Amino acid sequence: MGKIGKLNRSVSIIGVGCTPFMYTVDNEETNGLTEGELFGYAALKAMEDAGVSPQDVDFYFHGEASPLNGSNYLTPNIQIGNWFGMKGKGSIHHSEACCTGYLAIDQAVNAVASGKFDCVLTGCVEFGDSVPAPFGPNDTVETPKHPYKREKMTMDRFLATTMWLYDRCYARSMMAPMELIYDDAAEDYVRTRGITAQQMDDTLNWMAINNRRNAAKNPLAIERREFEDIAKEKGFPDVMSYMRSPYNPRMGDFLRMEGVERKCDGAAAAIVCATDMIPQIAKNLKHKPIEVLGIGNAACEATTPHFEIRATEEAVRQVYENTGVKPEELDIFFANDFIITSHLISAEIAGYLPWGEGWKYICEGRTAYDGDKPINTNGGRTSFGHAHAASGLADVYECCMQMRGECGERQVKKLPKTAMLRGYGGAQNIAAILLRTID
Amino acid sequence: MIKLEKVVQRFYEGLEEGKFLGRKCPVCGNVEFPPVYACNKCGSLETEWVECSGKGVMKSIVMPAALSSKPEYAQMGQYAYGEVELEEGACFNAVVKGINKRKRKELMPKLPVPVHAETFQRNGYKTVVFVLDEE
Ligand SMILES: [Zn+2]
Repeated sequence: MGKIGKLNRSVSIIGVGCTPFMYTVDNEETNGLTEGELFGYAALKAMEDAGVSPQDVDFYFHGEASPLNGSNYLTPNIQIGNWFGMKGKGSIHHSEACCTGYLAIDQAVNAVASGKFDCVLTGCVEFGDSVPAPFGPNDTVETPKHPYKREKMTMDRFLATTMWLYDRCYARSMMAPMELIYDDAAEDYVRTRGITAQQMDDTLNWMAINNRRNAAKNPLAIERREFEDIAKEKGFPDVMSYMRSPYNPRMGDFLRMEGVERKCDGAAAAIVCATDMIPQIAKNLKHKPIEVLGIGNAACEATTPHFEIRATEEAVRQVYENTGVKPEELDIFFANDFIITSHLISAEIAGYLPWGEGWKYICEGRTAYDGDKPINTNGGRTSFGHAHAASGLADVYECCMQMRGECGERQVKKLPKTAMLRGYGGAQNIAAILLRTID
Repeated sequence: MIKLEKVVQRFYEGLEEGKFLGRKCPVCGNVEFPPVYACNKCGSLETEWVECSGKGVMKSIVMPAALSSKPEYAQMGQYAYGEVELEEGACFNAVVKGINKRKRKELMPKLPVPVHAETFQRNGYKTVVFVLDEE
């Protein structure tokens, strides 16, 4: 299997920025926001947070999962660099669907560790809920677009474009590779851990409840109303009766509606700097840098059986071997959970939750922000929202803020020193990122 | 010899004739199905055409549901998704016909269960699906 080497020099995240995750076209205040405005906001907030100016930043990485469909761009990085003072600076666009925001850190770290750049910006933007507005009927990606107006992306149109994530030659034709994304991990968990379908259902529901409890305390999250309150309002005796009701219909073999992402619009960014250059570049840094200890990588195309599980095992193995960090050192965990099952299985694979026991921790609420094993404290993809490429960097934003103790009401009990983020997406890329606070 | 070759077209032409074509590694014997150029097991740059029997086993079972099905699939009757391993060794995700929820319950403790390949006509081409042997 794959192997990764040590970075040539220490690299740290010194600034982070994130927009609220939102349905931009649904609100007058946000309807008409553009790529440059969303990405630019996140980029400038990250620079402000790091205490650097665009002139200190050597290069920028731009991530967007679906630039042609969502923005009508082939080279989105070129179109918006001047929005945050980086006109003329080099940049590159990359696109790994829902894993984009995690590989955004990977690429930035590699670029700085190599010595080519001392300080780079890495950012992602996505309009997961809207598309550029057409000038007339029969609109396609080829027809001219309005300069700033957008319109709602229907679920049908979105699902039609998610087909682009799968190999045209075999995966689409064989059907099962595309359809297994929803329930393969849940089926595997039930079969290999020996729990019942009912226990799995409860676990999926508790993950949604815990995610929402976290999001309720996060002003950037898209869904902030706790299921407990919704259940009360609808007249249910307790939250689980509501989660098992037709209000939360089963949409997969195991998966229910509240276990699926809330696709939306948003952007996030980070400033990545050579650790030994921080005193020169970020003289005014007001918080501790967060070192990127290492990043494991794997990818399994969707015809591969149990693609998410196999690729996560490989990426996690690499990063532990590479860094010497032990699972018991992890203080907080993030998993891209656009299919909420991810959150359970990746935490077990990483050894953050004990194998076969993770579901109990979840059902006991121990993985919420106020538990002893916090996961996805921002609310995860089901409650924070999923602006596809941007979500990974939104997790990095939340993780760094937790490690700096700046999360206010949803600050975890023990200040995290070591964190893992498990990126996933794009049928299917995997990244396992280890972060540690520098004292 | 590394060849610029229409592997995908030949695979689908094989399905039209009811043949399940894979590529076998001359170094380690690994079979790639569906077929690709190189060996993903040992890294050999070359593989050779091989006709697979279509016999294999199903190792996991996931039922289709609202999110994970399309109207067109109804033509397959009752079916499920899962990991299939051919007797030649290739493993991949596939459709297996002849499974409903009750059948799944019965099969779970018996996994892996024998299956065999057949073709399924889609819009403009035939693809490969599997069927439970006992049906
Ligand atoms: Zn071989």
